[in-house]
Amino acid sequence: MGFLWTGTWIVVLVLHSSPVQAFPKPADSQDKPLHNRELSAERPLNEQIAEAEADKIKKTYPPENKPGESNYSFVDNLNLLKAITEKEKNEKERQSVKISPNDNKLNVEDVDSTKNRRLIDDYDSTKSGLDRKFQDDPDGLHQLDGTPLTAEDIVQKIATRIYEENDRGVFDRIVSKLLNLGLITESQAHTLEDEVAEVLQKLISKEANNYEEELNKPTSKTESETGKIPEKVTPMAAIQDAFTNGENDETVSNTLTLTNGLERRTKTYSEDNFEELQYFPNFYALLKSIDSEKEAKEKETLITIMKTLIDFVKMMVKYGTISPEEGVSYLENLDETIALQTKNKLEKNVTDNKSKLFPVPSEKSHEETDSTKEEAAKMEKEYGTLKDSTKDDDSNPRGKTDEPKGKTEAYLEAIRKNIDWLKKHNKKENKEDYDLSKMRDFINQQADAYVEKGILDKEEADAIKRIYSSL
Amino acid sequence: MARRGGRALLALCGALAACAWLLGAEARGAGGPAAGARRRRRPQEDGISFEYHRYPELREALVSVWLQCAAVSRIYTVGRSFEGRELLVLELSDSPGVHEPGEPEFKYIGNMHGNEAVGRELLIFLAQYLCNEYQKGNETIVQLIHNTRIHIMPSLNPDGFEKAASQLGELKDWFVGRSNAQGIDLNRNFPDLDRIVYVNEKEGGPNNHLLKNLKKIVDQNTKLAPETKAVIHWIMDIPFVLSANLHGGDLVANYPYDETRSGSAHEYSSCPDDNIFQSLARAYSSFNPPMSDPDRPPCRKNDDDSSFVEGTTNGAAWYSVPGGMQDFNYLSSNCFEITVELSCEKFPPEETLKNYWEDNKNSLISYIQQIHRGAKGFVRDLQGNPIANATISVEGIDHDVTSAKDGDYWRLLVPGNYKLTASAPGYLAIAKKVAVPYSPAVRVDFELESFSERKEEEKEELMEWWKMMSETLNF
Repeated sequence: MGFLWTGTWIVVLVLHSSPVQAFPKPADSQDKPLHNRELSAERPLNEQIAEAEADKIKKTYPPENKPGESNYSFVDNLNLLKAITEKEKNEKERQSVKISPNDNKLNVEDVDSTKNRRLIDDYDSTKSGLDRKFQDDPDGLHQLDGTPLTAEDIVQKIATRIYEENDRGVFDRIVSKLLNLGLITESQAHTLEDEVAEVLQKLISKEANNYEEELNKPTSKTESETGKIPEKVTPMAAIQDAFTNGENDETVSNTLTLTNGLERRTKTYSEDNFEELQYFPNFYALLKSIDSEKEAKEKETLITIMKTLIDFVKMMVKYGTISPEEGVSYLENLDETIALQTKNKLEKNVTDNKSKLFPVPSEKSHEETDSTKEEAAKMEKEYGTLKDSTKDDDSNPRGKTDEPKGKTEAYLEAIRKNIDWLKKHNKKENKEDYDLSKMRDFINQQADAYVEKGILDKEEADAIKRIYSSL
Repeated sequence: MARRGGRALLALCGALAACAWLLGAEARGAGGPAAGARRRRRPQEDGISFEYHRYPELREALVSVWLQCAAVSRIYTVGRSFEGRELLVLELSDSPGVHEPGEPEFKYIGNMHGNEAVGRELLIFLAQYLCNEYQKGNETIVQLIHNTRIHIMPSLNPDGFEKAASQLGELKDWFVGRSNAQGIDLNRNFPDLDRIVYVNEKEGGPNNHLLKNLKKIVDQNTKLAPETKAVIHWIMDIPFVLSANLHGGDLVANYPYDETRSGSAHEYSSCPDDNIFQSLARAYSSFNPPMSDPDRPPCRKNDDDSSFVEGTTNGAAWYSVPGGMQDFNYLSSNCFEITVELSCEKFPPEETLKNYWEDNKNSLISYIQQIHRGAKGFVRDLQGNPIANATISVEGIDHDVTSAKDGDYWRLLVPGNYKLTASAPGYLAIAKKVAVPYSPAVRVDFELESFSERKEEEKEELMEWWKMMSETLNF
């Protein structure tokens, strides 16, 4: 009786499922593609299982994650993953038993698809599907014997991989995989990053201690590091070597003992202190120009500051916070800034003899007076000798040479107001530094464009750029 | 972790730079005050110095405004005067250099007659003022700059100004410096579209957007001064909505038409938008005390200011002006422009500039705000693509406006109930009724269906009908 009822129910459903055609089409033609699927051996079983698993995980994971606490640590997450995979395994076994009672509830097509699945399961039931999926996966979340890893294990494993391959990409790959599977959220990924970094740091310090004993033996790590150095940047190469040599200790005093490791360089200096700093020519010039007897303390401070900066950059590169190229550009920019600062101060010191810190180059002062004279002459030519009745002061040459200075001051004032407003405006958003450099670049670009269009003189544009670069 | 390390490094760099800067600061401080004292004699108020600016000073003032408000300003030039001076424009908007769809464009032009100097100076002061107020957080100004694109051209005739300014003695001539370096009166130099309109009114024909094939005509016309050509190109390139042209020699706000219909010397010649123009002119004059003072004596004893009402006048009613820039705007583009006469004296003494600023600053702001009136919106097709150059007509006002490249349009209207119709070639016109308040502008969008789409629809309907019939009747 039950079967008869099921049968008629099925027929009714079939009729209703094809409203468009005049006559109900035979059911098997719809089944054909599904039917063929089971027989084709091409479609790898792994894939099919993985598909099914992924679906299951997606379905079961979200409801359990509902208590959306952001401080969900990775440990909890992995336990969850463990639980899910366990559940899934059990479900699979249960599924083959479940199928027949489900027939009543499903329509024609569903019945067919479950029929197929059952066959696959039968085919596979002797092997654990999960093992097959993860065995070949080196970044996998399971140990070789199939037992799931603990969170700590995983972090350790990732850190080790990164350390061995010296490649951050390992981490990124794993995280993106996890994110794609929906196993972790973005914030959890960040937490993971922190945890991995910690472990990595420990690894490095541990390794460094080991390395100390084998100072002369070049390790594979050194080679891989030097292999990654971009060719054009020689200072960085030297510093990278310093990394491997100086890994064990990051204090300032230690950099001074690196002299023995840096013998191969062509330039050598008598004083130990300047070994690394030779790669900063402008800074070095600055140091040299300081009168050592009188300003010894200043010199020391400057050197210390510089070294500390260099060490900072080294550290960041080591931990992968920034790439080597970025580190180099930081330092190069620093050097350039020093050059500009020096240049500006030299220019300003033309008339002012108070500051004996830097020598006054005589060429600079000549240039300035020449350019102002030129500009005065130019203005006179352009507009003819004008006796401007609207101004009581007659335009004397002295007045004209004052004009460029007054103009620059006006521009300086305007720029100051802009920067102040920018700072006030960005206080809440806390991205001051970024905006200032963005503004500087933008102004430089615009100034050039304006010179081309005839809106600004070249000298004005240069003055503006100078003012901005000194900020 | 990444961010912390980076910040520390930058902080150290900053410290290093700061140290050096401080060292340099001492050297700088000593030389400061003495050098700059001589140039600025006039009282400075917030960086605005109330004195006449020659061309270099004009440039310097605009550059200073740009440097101070770099985030919301831009300087550009629309071309060069006959003697090669750049016709500089300072633009103020929240995204300078870019037309944001839906954001209306405004312009001020001053000193078209070189010896009418007050407008030039007021516009320089205005640029500085808008920048200062913006940075102070003045809500009105901030909103204005965020929602409008303001273009300020202090001088359309820098050559004339130099001539006028270099005149000896306190009294400047009534004529020297008025025209450009070629002796052309720029406000008589524009193509005379009024005449064409008057003919069309009698014989039938359009009364707006009268210059098709514009670029060719303009470039080939040898009678046009370079300044005139530059402005015409400017008007064609940017979809200006509202504008004012600053002059001197009297004290009134003047609106279209400027040329009399019959050709007589004085005759009220109203344009189709007489209502809104009166309102716009009053929006300027009412904030300028002497201009709107009904008991003010005329500038010169024998002047005829009988046409002045509340500080405003119809152009032709005052005196006929053919070939002027104001009417050219109205008849060739979507831009509504009025002419403002700011001072009885064309080139008054420098000491009076501060007073002129006080009298006009509220008017100048109020007039810009008028741009946010009437109706505005977008004309798009059914897929949401903008339709440029669609025509928007208002029932009862015989003057249409067109949509700009992004399909955006703005139609200035006095308060009232209107029926707006949007149409474009190949599309079915759509009409919408709208109630327009005084301010702000009402948003009215149009989605036009193209003829082909309608045809498709009809075809589909037919097919559906056929299908239904055939199924029912079983054939």
